[in-house]
Formats: sequence, C-alpha cells, structure tokens
Amino acid sequence: MQISTEELPGGVTRVRLDGRMDIAGAQSVDLKMNIVAGSAHRLLIDLEKVEFLGSMGLRSIVIPARAVHSRGGKVVLFAPTPMVESVLKTSGIDALLPVHHSLDAAIAALE
Amino acid sequence: MLGLLAASMPEALSAWPDPRLTLTSQLEDLALVLPWLQALADRYALTASTRFAIQLCLEEALSNIVRHGYRGRANQSITVECAPSPAGELVFTIEDHAPPFDPLAPSAADAAPTPQSIDELQPGGQGIRLMRRFSSRIAWEPTPSGNRLTLAFPLAR
Repeated sequence: MQISTEELPGGVTRVRLDGRMDIAGAQSVDLKMNIVAGSAHRLLIDLEKVEFLGSMGLRSIVIPARAVHSRGGKVVLFAPTPMVESVLKTSGIDALLPVHHSLDAAIAALE
Repeated sequence: MLGLLAASMPEALSAWPDPRLTLTSQLEDLALVLPWLQALADRYALTASTRFAIQLCLEEALSNIVRHGYRGRANQSITVECAPSPAGELVFTIEDHAPPFDPLAPSAADAAPTPQSIDELQPGGQGIRLMRRFSSRIAWEPTPSGNRLTLAFPLAR
C-alpha cells in the first residue's frame, strides 16, 4: 500500500491511497492516515488507485474521518472503482461520507 | 530438452492449485490466501468482479474466525476448500474448531446497524453484511468440533 498527501488550494488535503486495502494494507496506512486526520480540516481521500477494500480497509477510512469530523471538518471520498464503491455502499458509509467522481465536485463538497 | 518439453506441455506441467488450504489462527496467515485465490481464479478464468468478491468474503470470514472465533488463540487450524458445484458455482467451505457461532443468526447479522450519522460510524462489524452482499449463497452449520461456513460465487465466464 502506498500513501501520499498533497495540499490543494482552499485548504484541502488530498490523501492518495494506492494498492490493496486488505488487512495488511490497512495496517500499513493506519498511522499515516491518523496523522493526516489529526491536522486536516478538509480531507479528500482519493481512492482511484485502490484495487481492493475490505472491512479493515473501511476502518482505516472511518476512524480518520470521524477524527476530522469531530473537529468540525469535512471528508469526501474520491473516484473509487465500481467494486470499491459497492463496498462503500453496502456498508452504508457512502451516505455519510460523500463519494464524488469529479475532482471539482469533490473539492466543492468540502467548502 | 527439458525446456522444449515444458514449452510443448504447458497444461501438464502447470498443475491445478491444491483445492484445500490449511491456515493457522493468526492474521499473518491470511497473506497465504491471496496467492492461492489468484491461482484458482486464473484456472477458473473468473471475472475481475468475482475475484474481488471472493477475496472480500474470504478475508471477512477468516479474519472473523481468527479474531472472534478463536479469540486470538494462536496455532488453531482453519481449512478452506474450493470446489465447483453442479449448479455452476465455485463453492468455498471454511471449517474451524472454534466455539459454535452462527454468523447468519439475526443477532449477529444486526450487530452493526446502518449508521445514521458519522459519529455512529463503527469501525468494525461490516463483515457479515459484506459477505451477504458479495456472495451468491452463504450457509452456516455447526460441526462436531466447530463451524462450517459455505460461500458460493457464480462460475459464469
């Protein structure tokens, strides 16, 4: 699992995840995700390169998202593949963390 | 000479993956599952979405057994068997020796209700919901020494 971050205009933090968010993958990004969530107020989680997402991977998204939200921040999910999006929908997380496939729409949702 | 033989007999030399995988009850052992599944998926020419569904359901089922069934006790066995069914499914049968636990019982299936707010989002408890959604059939039965969970997926190509 690879993870990288980028600061976008408007105070948006984009965190790019790349690889398999299975048990091992989730463990490998947890620390970095929690560090990013500790300071971000507008967090865009880029799932475009995530090829697999299981419930441990969901956990690696939910816990940081709750941290950002608890400080009054916002979180959006960006560009999941159809199967990854299906996991998000099955868990009901998509109803609480908006999923966008357009970068402009994702950033606008964080304003 | 051997190289020539190998080139002319790829099917004979490329054996089917063992239909049975034996694991011990530690999360690290789950890393053995993916290459086994990939070899099976190649042999059965499964679609990308079916591969995803199988990987997802097996990860959920096996991690539940390790964390909840065996409650972290190491060196307990889990076996996974894969076989095609006459109904055109690829069927995975997972057996453990943990205390009986029916993941399909209403109390278990409702363990993680759909969250209504981000503050209610629980980091766990999604495994059973995911297995129900991503398998074509799921069944549980107790065995004399533990549990047998069956997960089926379409073999259509």
